[in-house]
Amino acid sequence: MSSPLPPPPPPQWVVALNSPMPRPTKAATSIQDPPGFSSTRGGKQQKQQQKQPTEKKPEETDALKLKKAWEIAIAPSKQIPMNAIMMYMSGNSLQIFSIMMVFMLFKGPIQGLINTNVMFAKFDTPATHGRLYGVKAVYILMQLGLLALGIWKVNAMGLLPTTRSDWLAWESERQPLEQAYFAFR
Amino acid sequence: MRLQVALFIAACVSPAAAIYPDEVNHVDFHHALIGTPSPDSTFFLKPSSASNASLLYTISDQSILGAVNPRDGALIWRKDLSRAGFPTNKGGILRGSDGHNAVVGAAGNYISSWTAQDGKLIWENKFQDGVVADIELLELEEASATSGARDTLALVGSESAGIVRRLDGNTGKTKWESKDTSGDVAFQVSSSPTEVFYISLQSALLKGYKVKVTALDPVNGRQTRQYVLNSENEIATPESVLYVGANVASPLIVWADKTHKTLKVNVIGTKQVQTVNIENTSGQDIRRITVHAPHKLNSLPHFLVHYVTESGAWAEVYHVDLMTSAVTKAYKLPYLQGQSAVATSNIDANVYFTRITDSEATIVSSASHGILGRWNMEAASTERALHAVSEVVSKGKSVAVRAVVLREAGAWELVRNGQTEWTRHEDLIDAVAATWVEQEAQEALAHELEVEGHESLIGAYIHRVKRHIRDLQHLPDWLKELPQRIVSSVLTDEVTNLDNFGVAKPVIVATKSGRLYALNTGKQGAVDWSVQVEETSQWDVKSIVTRPGEATIYASDGSSATVNVSTGEVISRTAPTNVKLQSILSLEDHSVLGINEDGSPATLFDDSIGFLVTTSADGRVLGWSGQDNKSPVWEFVPPSSQKVVHATSRPVHDPIASIGKVLGNRSVLYKYLNPNLALVTAVNEKNNTAGFYLLDGVSGKVLYATTQYGVDPTQPIASVITENWFAYSFFGDVVDESSAKGYQLVISELYESSAPNDRGPLDSAGNFSSLHGSNGDSPPSPHVVSQAFVIPEPISHMAVTQTRQGITTRQLLCTLPESSSIVGIPRPVLDPRRPVDRDPTSSEAEEGLFRYAPFLEFDGRWFLTHVRDVSGIKTVLSQPTLLESTSLVFAFGGDIFGTRATPSQAFDVLGKSFSKLQLVATIVALSIGVAFLAPMVRKKQVNQLWKAV
Repeated sequence: MSSPLPPPPPPQWVVALNSPMPRPTKAATSIQDPPGFSSTRGGKQQKQQQKQPTEKKPEETDALKLKKAWEIAIAPSKQIPMNAIMMYMSGNSLQIFSIMMVFMLFKGPIQGLINTNVMFAKFDTPATHGRLYGVKAVYILMQLGLLALGIWKVNAMGLLPTTRSDWLAWESERQPLEQAYFAFR
Repeated sequence: MRLQVALFIAACVSPAAAIYPDEVNHVDFHHALIGTPSPDSTFFLKPSSASNASLLYTISDQSILGAVNPRDGALIWRKDLSRAGFPTNKGGILRGSDGHNAVVGAAGNYISSWTAQDGKLIWENKFQDGVVADIELLELEEASATSGARDTLALVGSESAGIVRRLDGNTGKTKWESKDTSGDVAFQVSSSPTEVFYISLQSALLKGYKVKVTALDPVNGRQTRQYVLNSENEIATPESVLYVGANVASPLIVWADKTHKTLKVNVIGTKQVQTVNIENTSGQDIRRITVHAPHKLNSLPHFLVHYVTESGAWAEVYHVDLMTSAVTKAYKLPYLQGQSAVATSNIDANVYFTRITDSEATIVSSASHGILGRWNMEAASTERALHAVSEVVSKGKSVAVRAVVLREAGAWELVRNGQTEWTRHEDLIDAVAATWVEQEAQEALAHELEVEGHESLIGAYIHRVKRHIRDLQHLPDWLKELPQRIVSSVLTDEVTNLDNFGVAKPVIVATKSGRLYALNTGKQGAVDWSVQVEETSQWDVKSIVTRPGEATIYASDGSSATVNVSTGEVISRTAPTNVKLQSILSLEDHSVLGINEDGSPATLFDDSIGFLVTTSADGRVLGWSGQDNKSPVWEFVPPSSQKVVHATSRPVHDPIASIGKVLGNRSVLYKYLNPNLALVTAVNEKNNTAGFYLLDGVSGKVLYATTQYGVDPTQPIASVITENWFAYSFFGDVVDESSAKGYQLVISELYESSAPNDRGPLDSAGNFSSLHGSNGDSPPSPHVVSQAFVIPEPISHMAVTQTRQGITTRQLLCTLPESSSIVGIPRPVLDPRRPVDRDPTSSEAEEGLFRYAPFLEFDGRWFLTHVRDVSGIKTVLSQPTLLESTSLVFAFGGDIFGTRATPSQAFDVLGKSFSKLQLVATIVALSIGVAFLAPMVRKKQVNQLWKAV
């Protein structure tokens, strides 16, 4: 295949948009803003004004963060009943849908477990760090609960080698020490 | 859920899918045999006066009456007359009349008439006062004018009397009978258009016999006259009479003196005996004289005398003067070297003689010696021709002939104008032993693979690479054959040529007459070669041991012969010993061990054999040990004066795929697997009991015993044991309220323990000993589960299909003598764990168990023989192939039948619905499509890039 051509030079307006506005001339600064126009500086001021109360109360922020973290930790438990009903309804036969559902059931919790720290990274502050352990533990527990549901399902489908028959192939025939030859008519 | 269960049951029950019509003659073959035809009772006959087509009728030495299509040698119908009458060693007598749709056959004391076209019974009769010595169809002018059916003249001979009976042609009722109580040997019955003659042999004062002819009135059977011919000097035994004619204008009696110097001819009805001098110019002694005369009422009174010497034969034709009854010699057919046979045929009144020699077939008219037709034999046969029958067709001046020749080896072949059209190997009906043989070429690879199997992983890999490099020398040849192979594989019917997978192994069959046949199972059982190994009529073959490329046949007299399996050439022989062996055991190293009649080993054996189990002639089972060859280490005598009638053990090749049975709840019921098991059948004929005993072959311990009451010991009792189950069948009568009357089939399975997941007292031990058990109770007794079924007909023989690894479900192969078929009952049907009087639970249904029904009807799909009438089967053999799904089945003893059994369907073979042509066409079409589209797509992509700028 032909190699991609170099991109065409960007149009003028794109260049203008991307480059910062040129510093206004002295004369221009002297011109008053039209009524209702707020300059960027003014926006910043507003934001600073909004942030100022939270910054003022860090305990509150932490509590909020923890609350949010707890919500995330508990969230998988809400899936358990739904999944349980779905798994129960899908039957124990090996079909493409039930296999896909079981696969999703395993994929979710395992991904969740791997991403545990990522999930709670944004709530991790020096203040909340200690208290977040419990939250993580509950989260892991919930994911394990989902996994247990998956394992229960797989077992119900007969895919776990838990019975004697699963190991029958590894058992060998008992060999006789003596051999008899038969010479019947 | 219900539906699933139903589907599952269907899937479990249907493994024995039926044989499809397009597989017939492809996977199976059948030789419908009748036995060696008897010379006097073989003839061509036009069963219908409307059509000119004729069929070939014969009765064999096995008393089987058969009609054969002369076009292709196919059997049209056959009847076993020996079943109805008491057995006779004489074979039988068969008569028919041209244009009449009836043939009359007799064997023993049984006489019956059958429609000639399709073999339907017209009438039958059983004489209580003697054996049928001769029959003749009465061809009277008045009879042929009035009614269609010909009356039968039957001569019933007993020790004291000879009775001539005229039997009605439509009903078989006796119209009249004439009894001769003079004590003469009832010999033959004959008839002329006006009279019936009863010919008996009156023993002369000193020696020999006089021929006594009694003329009877055909209407009422009254004796009209009687005369005696002086023949005591010539006729020493009844066999000395060469010929008695019948149904001609001037029937003849012909006999010769012992030195073959003169021939005596008497026209029946006259007292005059004519003497004809035999002009023997060959310089050799005459070995055999046969007389050939027409059998038609209106034919010319000519006859031919055929003289056979050691190395050649000639013939003379005589004419009889109807007025003076004078016999005159007409001409002579010249002396020719080699074997020859003569047959007579008629066209209207003209009589033609066909002479078949090793090199040519000639036709002469009885009137003159001019040769009407001469054909060179295409393939000269080395076998002596015993007799022939012929049919001549004339078209203007030219004539055509077809003759059926019986060779000494039992081959019955039709020769049409010098060409052999078909051959029926009737000798195969007496097959006594058979086995599959290994061709030498296949063995090389098998050996290499075996070497690889015993080496280490790396060693085996290196060995294989080396072997493949060596195989490269065959590459050019292989490439040369490739186009042809591809074309043939696309065009042929069968998707995969399975011959390489061992499904077309040759079978060698030994017959009672001392012959060995090689049947090509890949070519509908065609005979590849046949060879006379022993000059005997009672070859009692006990065992055939095969090695690649050769086979050794062991007979009961201790003799053996080794033949090359691809040519039939006898490589070596051993002379018979003076002991009579009852069985011969073949061991893994191709050595054999003979067993005497009393059950003791004929030769000493050592510890390498270990233990030996034999049966003795007086009904005991004996166990022998390698340490002591003189006296048995154990002896099994069945209790309550029962006598051992049959004993069987597990097949030598009996692989176990799984050592347990997985139940519905996925627990395991462990199979009781002991290769040393023997199933012994013992019968007490007085109180009608039959005992079935399961013995351990090493210790002689009875592991399981059961007794059946009300058993009919005269009916067949068959049994088989394999894997962890055994089956037996018998006829049971009612002995109490709960017992069933009828043929019963009992199936028993052996398990290590009644509880699942339990391996019994030995638990996880890797091996076990029958003698030195740890707890004294060794080997442990099995847990036996049994179920009995009532079956519609008796089973005379049982076998089990064998596959390479034993993964495929087994079929119980049962020979059904009454319906002349072989049925393969699938094992899932015969599961003794089927729930009784209730529907199966869901877990039982998952196992494939379904509700027990006491009556087991043989499903039409189970019949391996489908529509074929496979009669007289004594033994059924089974052999694994390289395909796990396929088992070879071969049955012999009467007919010869071979098929491939696929108890779990042919799961490892591409089916017929798989079209190679379609696959190739699809690939080609796709490639063409890609080749067209690829440049188009590329162009479009480039254009798109340009457009983007």
